Amino acid sequence: MSSESGASIEASIEVRIPTILRPYTGGAKVVSADGRTLRELIADLGARFNGLDERIMTDGALLKFINVYVNDEDVRFLGGLDLALNAGDKVTILPAVAGGAKNCGAI
Amino acid sequence: MVRKIVARFNSLVESVGRTPLIGLPKLSPAPNVRLWAKMEDRNPTGSVKDRAALYMIEQAERDGLLKPGSTILEPTSGNTGISLAMIARLRGYQMICVMPENTSVERRQLLEMWGARIISSPSAGGSNEAVRVAKELARENPEWVFLYQYGNPANSQAHYESTGPELLEDLPTITHFIAGLGTTGTLMGAGRFFRDKKPDVEVIAAEPRYGELVYGLRNIDEGFIPELFDPSVLTRRFSVGAHDSVKRVRQLLDEEGIFAGISTGAILHAAIGIGDELVKAGKSGDIAFILCDAGWKYLSTGVYHGDVSDGEERLEGQLWA
Repeated sequence: MSSESGASIEASIEVRIPTILRPYTGGAKVVSADGRTLRELIADLGARFNGLDERIMTDGALLKFINVYVNDEDVRFLGGLDLALNAGDKVTILPAVAGGAKNCGAI
Repeated sequence: MVRKIVARFNSLVESVGRTPLIGLPKLSPAPNVRLWAKMEDRNPTGSVKDRAALYMIEQAERDGLLKPGSTILEPTSGNTGISLAMIARLRGYQMICVMPENTSVERRQLLEMWGARIISSPSAGGSNEAVRVAKELARENPEWVFLYQYGNPANSQAHYESTGPELLEDLPTITHFIAGLGTTGTLMGAGRFFRDKKPDVEVIAAEPRYGELVYGLRNIDEGFIPELFDPSVLTRRFSVGAHDSVKRVRQLLDEEGIFAGISTGAILHAAIGIGDELVKAGKSGDIAFILCDAGWKYLSTGVYHGDVSDGEERLEGQLWA
């Protein structure tokens, strides 16, 4: 990752956004962002989509009912917000649920 | 308690547990990195949930909560309800299941065959909503016995006392234990057993990642974490989507001849990933995973035929684990 000013660098990490947070991304399911760590990535998401970061972490911790996976692995078992990220990593954000139902008619 | 392998039982419920551990010689990534399937489909109603159901019912009997004629209430998307309904029928209890409406026809039919009454919860919100409705019904009907698998310590105790010891007895060289993450009972119970008896065993969760409709909460505060869940028991946790799950469940059938339910595909995907990591690191290992149930209940999804990608599409929006 370049040490130049971040604004011009093309974002290199794909982030999948759950339905409930898509109002922040203009409806986009997948967005790109950057960060050397997960903490920086979430801050960058907040810089790109106002308020999105606060729906993922507050007071330096992930929200209780939010799960974040990097390359399909839960970050809480990988060092949490300090996890180092690399270009090409795939990040998935999901709310914690008890499972669902066939054809569940959720929004 | 670990039972010796015997082939005669005085009644069906006595045959719960002591399932075979089957090696997967073709899917194992190396001669010194082996995969082993704990065949929970061999339980009386065909799933791992028979263990928790039996323990929860017998604990409630010991506590004096369940008496002849009592009514059991449980939120369930299938297997737990089926297990409870079978035992309830044999012991003379009534069974009421709260299920999200539009769950698969096989599960409803099986529940009704064993005499359960089904109360439908609104489909929006999925199992979260079923849990909420069941908690409300439990408050309104205090005479009903609310076993509540997500928070009942007898659920994980079943796995501490049976699944874990069986695995260690059959595979003393076990290095990794992998199971699905739903109520978290299997991982918490067997995981704590390994923490106590063989602490170097890695305890790994494979969590199904459903289509996005399933995660359509109205508010993030409606999220749900089972009361039984203690993350300190786990070493790692993977999220596995429908594509990888279908691919692996088909591979299990094609290469090892084992016909498993779809959630087992998610668990196998994590097991193969761990196996590949061990091979790359030049390590050896014995990786045991839970085969939750067989594929019969999921035939109507169509995932066992045609292209894997077709199967994945069929699961979109479904609760497949």
